Amino acid sequence: MSETKLTKDAIAILSGGDAAAESDIRPVLQVADIRLVKTQNQTTTERYRILLSDGSFTQQGMLATQQNDLVRSEKLQKGSIVKLTQFVCNFIQNRMIVIIVNLDVLVEKCDPIGEPKPYPTKNDWSTSSTARQATPGQPVNQPASGGINPSSIGSGSAPHVPPSGEDQSASSSSHGCSFPSSKDSRSYNTANASPKYPKTEYGSGVLRAHVKNPPQLSYHQPPHQTLANRGLIAPRIIPIAALNPFQGGWTIKARVTSKGDLRRYTNTKGDGKVFSFDLLDSDGGEIKATCFNVVADKFHPQIELGRVYMISNGSVQRAKENFNHLPNEREIFLNSFSTVQPCFEDDKSIPHQQFHFLPISDIENLARDRNVDIIGIVSSISPSSSIMRKNGTETQKRTLQLKDMSGRSVELTLWGNFCNAEGQTLQKMLDSGLFPVLAVKSGRVNDFNGKSVGTTFNSQFFIEPDFPEAQRLKTWFDGEGKSTPAISISRGTSMVNVRKTVSQIKDEKLGTLDKPDWITVSATLTYIKVDNFCYTACPIMIGDRQCNKKVTENGDGKWRCEKCDGIVDKCDYRYILQMQIQDHTGTTWVTAFQESGEEIMGISAKDLCTLKHDEQDDVKFAELLRSVLFTKFLFKLKVKEEIFNDEARVKSTVVKAEKVNLQTQSRYLLDSMAKFKDEDLGTLPPPKSEISFQHLGRTLGNLCPSLMSGPSAYGNSNVTPGIYGMARYQRVG
Amino acid sequence: MDTSNPALFVNAELLRMHVGRRVRTVIQVLRSDSGGSVIGNSTDGQQLVIKGHPPGPLSTFVEVIGIADSNQSIRADIWNNFGDVLDTASYNVVCQLANGDYKHLFI
Repeated sequence: MSETKLTKDAIAILSGGDAAAESDIRPVLQVADIRLVKTQNQTTTERYRILLSDGSFTQQGMLATQQNDLVRSEKLQKGSIVKLTQFVCNFIQNRMIVIIVNLDVLVEKCDPIGEPKPYPTKNDWSTSSTARQATPGQPVNQPASGGINPSSIGSGSAPHVPPSGEDQSASSSSHGCSFPSSKDSRSYNTANASPKYPKTEYGSGVLRAHVKNPPQLSYHQPPHQTLANRGLIAPRIIPIAALNPFQGGWTIKARVTSKGDLRRYTNTKGDGKVFSFDLLDSDGGEIKATCFNVVADKFHPQIELGRVYMISNGSVQRAKENFNHLPNEREIFLNSFSTVQPCFEDDKSIPHQQFHFLPISDIENLARDRNVDIIGIVSSISPSSSIMRKNGTETQKRTLQLKDMSGRSVELTLWGNFCNAEGQTLQKMLDSGLFPVLAVKSGRVNDFNGKSVGTTFNSQFFIEPDFPEAQRLKTWFDGEGKSTPAISISRGTSMVNVRKTVSQIKDEKLGTLDKPDWITVSATLTYIKVDNFCYTACPIMIGDRQCNKKVTENGDGKWRCEKCDGIVDKCDYRYILQMQIQDHTGTTWVTAFQESGEEIMGISAKDLCTLKHDEQDDVKFAELLRSVLFTKFLFKLKVKEEIFNDEARVKSTVVKAEKVNLQTQSRYLLDSMAKFKDEDLGTLPPPKSEISFQHLGRTLGNLCPSLMSGPSAYGNSNVTPGIYGMARYQRVG
Repeated sequence: MDTSNPALFVNAELLRMHVGRRVRTVIQVLRSDSGGSVIGNSTDGQQLVIKGHPPGPLSTFVEVIGIADSNQSIRADIWNNFGDVLDTASYNVVCQLANGDYKHLFI
């Protein structure tokens, strides 16, 4: 079977460092040995060292962590025959290591084929030996017998032939490797006079040994890597996916997909500057690159969005979760040894941007603060408003609704600059009747009111982009999307439609948790406090809204606002209604402000005030009040516990008051009755029959609206509607 | 309040079960015959004949209370105008509940 035939001379070819041949071949090799290597600082990462054989020779390799599962599940084991599909050959101090990014396991179990010997390198024995003496007493010439001894990684493995002078210097300038033990990755590169060859790339064992290493400054290690030096060599470009902390001397060729600003920050260590940008290469790998202080100053002007650069010798580290918005566990930190070289001819193979779009319906399941790319049709946009931030600064905020093929819509919040720039463009488009496609990269999921998405420093907007997804969206929208109502996952429906009875507010201790509870209660307005139903409010506009703070009389007929520190001639009158609402379970006090107040009273606060104070028309006032009292409403309440002088009180504010729609109400009641029959639990405390009785009665009452409204031929005018229903059908026994 | 003669909630379906008894139902008026009857649609879509003289102008929906004559007619004593808007589906469900699980609440 051809599978068991190992690619002849594969090792020689790989070791030969023939770049062209390397990228074409997919060698079939046998795994002569596998060892687990533990790293010191990142204790969770395991890396597997693989000794590859082509039947004649063996070669060292490292398995990319993505493939670790193959070893763990024993698909990949000693003796397995594998075909390397994606790999990189790197030369570290004249030794070659094959970094295996992707491979196919052709045969899981197989006896060793041939008697492979470690591939010799035509290295300078003496220097290499002393240089690489990892463990004392380990003779350098001794080839690693079969197994790979992690501690002797520096030496034990047989010296390899450095393919050519070039690669040697390339590898020699590879002190980009990190010392796993040293947390500060930058320091490793600051040419420590001692270990010039950070051979710690593969294991902690090595590091220990290193300390004893006599500094070998001379032979093949120029102290710093210079651009000139680099320019002579064709740098070995590796895919971003192959970047790992253990290996230095890498170069990547990638396009800048996002460029951050040069930002200042202050932390416990003092002030600093940070600058970061995102890179995308031709394989689709993405990674974020960050630099601080001096390095940031140096690179910030050099990096241009959309251009391709060759970047080398940064430090590859694990990415910090809260700043990471790319699908890569690692990020690059550039330092004074890193180089950034612009590529003058654009590399067409590198895409300009890469998205991982999620349908809006999936956002519902995402945790907050997750980064997400979305694309959708903008169905509406609201004007900018000013928001005060926690640190006292003001910023702009704008919201828009995005709708996509999943039938869901989500609220997208634009912050800061997005409001003015992109926000304006979108507004204009919507005003002219267009519904543009908007793609957002790196939006952040927020779970404030249902799920919504907000922009961050790293977000990018693409209006009417040219992607296939955009085309599909447009076709969908023009077809059915325009008319399909999208269910909004923002302002979560679950929050608002929770129906409760008045007694439940107290029983279930609503509002006592951190967040306020939003509930809907169907109740009757039984009392309104007449003394202070409105207050004098400041009409001065702050941004988009009115100040609305209480103003006091100035003495000379003008009104003064403390917050705005302004004086106005005429103040605004706004409702502040203290009312009692009642349902079949109990009664409670609620407060209604301007908007809901107007809905309830049916008359503006100003007019009502004039009626009472100026015209002193008590009769009319009383009449109005009486007409409003004892009407049934569907109140949307915000219940929250507040502390007043050491006393905690649960206050309910009316957010919205709607006249009860009898039909929906009846349906609701009938539904709850049906639910009752199915399960005995139910949310209402009283026993079944009583509830059903009340429900039925109310349903019947609801069915005859004409009978309920005021005095009419058949009803009793002085009986409240609810009771009417029940009284008629009450039966004793 | 006179509770001696309770009238059951029925629709056309349930009417046949209570022939001869006092019932009440709501119909949507289709036409009035001069001969003293009104033809209407019950809440479950069947036609019923209501015998009697309505006291005045009828709205679209009328509740009639009386003795059930046959499967499809009622001799009405009381006529109540229910206005022009009614959720017939809800009324229908109420009829079914009143005759089914919750009969004990009504009779």
